[in-house]
Amino acid sequence: MTAQTQPPLGIPRSWKTASVLLPCLVLMSAGPALGDRIERHFKVESHPIVTIHNPTGTVTVRAWTKAEVLVIAKRATDRVEVDTEQNANRVEISTRQIPDNASPNDLRADFEINVPEDTELQIHDDSGGVNVSNVLGDMNVETIGAEVALEDTAGFLSVNTVDGGFQCSRCAGRIEAHSISGNFRFAEMRSYHVHAQTSEGNIFFSGEFFPSGIYQLKNYSGVIEVRFQPGDSFDISATSLKGKVNNEAKLTPSSHHHSLRGVGNALFGSMNTGRAKVELSSFDGTINILKRD
Amino acid sequence: MERLTHRIGGCVPTGSVARARRTETTGEIPESESIRLAQRGDAAAFERLYQQHSRRVYSLCLRMVGNTAEAEDLTQEAFLQLFRKISTFRGESAFSTWLHRLAVNVVLMKLRKKSGKETSLEQVTEPDDEAGGPRRDFGAADLKLTGSLDRVNLQRAVDQLPPGYRAVFVLHDVQGYEHNEIAEIMGCSIGNSKSQLHKARMRLRELLHEEIREKAREERRAAGSASNSED
Amino acid sequence: MSVANCSQFLNQLEQWMEGQRPPDAQSHLRSCPTCQGLVEDLSSIEQTARSMGATETAPPDRLWASLRAQLEQEGIIRTEAHGWIQGVIHWFDGVLSAVPRPALAGAYLVALVGISLALAGPGYRRSNWNDNATRPLSAQLEAEQDTLAGVASDPAVTASLEKNLAIVDNYIALCEKSVQEDPENEIARDYLYGAYQQKAELLAEMSERGAGQ
Repeated sequence: MTAQTQPPLGIPRSWKTASVLLPCLVLMSAGPALGDRIERHFKVESHPIVTIHNPTGTVTVRAWTKAEVLVIAKRATDRVEVDTEQNANRVEISTRQIPDNASPNDLRADFEINVPEDTELQIHDDSGGVNVSNVLGDMNVETIGAEVALEDTAGFLSVNTVDGGFQCSRCAGRIEAHSISGNFRFAEMRSYHVHAQTSEGNIFFSGEFFPSGIYQLKNYSGVIEVRFQPGDSFDISATSLKGKVNNEAKLTPSSHHHSLRGVGNALFGSMNTGRAKVELSSFDGTINILKRD
Repeated sequence: MERLTHRIGGCVPTGSVARARRTETTGEIPESESIRLAQRGDAAAFERLYQQHSRRVYSLCLRMVGNTAEAEDLTQEAFLQLFRKISTFRGESAFSTWLHRLAVNVVLMKLRKKSGKETSLEQVTEPDDEAGGPRRDFGAADLKLTGSLDRVNLQRAVDQLPPGYRAVFVLHDVQGYEHNEIAEIMGCSIGNSKSQLHKARMRLRELLHEEIREKAREERRAAGSASNSED
Repeated sequence: MSVANCSQFLNQLEQWMEGQRPPDAQSHLRSCPTCQGLVEDLSSIEQTARSMGATETAPPDRLWASLRAQLEQEGIIRTEAHGWIQGVIHWFDGVLSAVPRPALAGAYLVALVGISLALAGPGYRRSNWNDNATRPLSAQLEAEQDTLAGVASDPAVTASLEKNLAIVDNYIALCEKSVQEDPENEIARDYLYGAYQQKAELLAEMSERGAGQ
């Protein structure tokens, strides 16, 4: 703007300047930018490996039909940096936090990731949440308090949390789940091998019992609940050292309750032809073997 | 400021580099052990890794930028980036390759900033003919470099190369990396690496010949001035 | 392609410098001083460059000092506050250096296996059970626990880890009591062993977080 330029409509130049500067000053004083969005695309071939290391925030992974990994990251502030790197068929996604007196919310990054359905996933998320759907490759998920939710997955699934809960719906393949105080919920399961152990959490299981399948559910205290249908076929042993075992299944032999050396309860028997193997174990919790509604 | 370390451009590395440039041990502690301890924050492990690789990285940076102050800054930045990301290292490639890839990226970004242009990695490895592609010019037969070429004037010529040429030349001819290693470090194809090296050498020859011609011109001017003054 | 002139030789020069020596190119080179000069120049450049690479320059010492200070400030290098734990970790790591993560948990498991074998040994009688069977490991784990409190950077994560450590300690106490009451109860021993295993893994997790964050 030259010295000869006149502002329109007789508005003083200083007011025009102020009307532009003032909002800028307000925005600058509001702190680091929020909702910073980063998007990256990676071309991959079949069976890619995607690793995500995100201490704070959510990780949502969905399968799609493209031979591509799409990463969308939203970070709370610039105190958290997002790194993505591709090595051949492996995509690595990580966040790096710069604490510097920042609050945990400032260090948060949320991811939405689209992957081919045959992707192998390795996810590390301390607090936030992990949601995976329709991915059929092997999976390793480790969290501290983040809740883990898997839907319509397959492959070898390994989930380890400290107190984060784990929900698994319509999952196939093999599942290994460990926690200290997280609750487990397995619904509409189609897995041939489930090993789930939590110390203080509850375990709920409902689904198919495949012939030669193995289903091992174990806790120290809390409730273990297994739902069955009349047509299911399994051998079952249910043991609670200091708690109770409640059973609605028609097992053979019919009266097969045992008292364990005068302490606790145990139950052994076969439902129909006993083709699957079910082992339920608790230290002082309650075991319920109930009919499915 | 967003910090991204993803590779720009379509080049995909052709696999891990098996070459070991030096023994992977410092004393009795294998490098893999140092990496593992460094991933847990062990200061001594970081120092071991630094001592093991700093000379090579610093030499690379020095030859790329030509002055010690910048080379120090770049070396520190490369190691800082490496150690910040060390927890993500999973051993798919040799650690040294990973480190040198970081170092080359750091240097190239610096050189790009200095040139004042925002260029992609592809662009700095594929300069157009106007920017520095070698001319199909043989030069005079009496301007042979043999006998007049030394490290000093070669380094001066290297400093004038475009960043991409410079990187490939330093990595291959000076530091002795093979083309498959350079391809992984630079994120390009082996063919691309070979092509860039050839263009770099041809360009260096032109620059060195120009220096010889300029020196000859100065000598003639000096001789002409001396004879005029005698007259 | 046969090389009849300098332009054609130039087109093949890249391959020549990589060591490919087709006869027609050799023939041209023998008879062309200009191309000879070109090849000699490129070879001189290559050789001089190699001699440059023969020596590597070390950076000044202050570079490491500056780098280390930055790494400590960012928390990438752990400070001496956890030096004792680092010593313990190194000792266990020395025992099981090839064990994949969690290396610490693996090392503890070696000790646990020894204890569990002692607990499960044949002819084990009630009178054999005493705290000495698990005291060394228990003391070790408790000592590490005291030092590790609050190592994670996120308060919520720290609180979660500490809370769950208390949960596991409670189960250890309950299981120990059961085993004391009935040393031949395999299920109780199995749960006790499992509780120790969980504690070891949790402590390993806490230790690594304190190192890596």
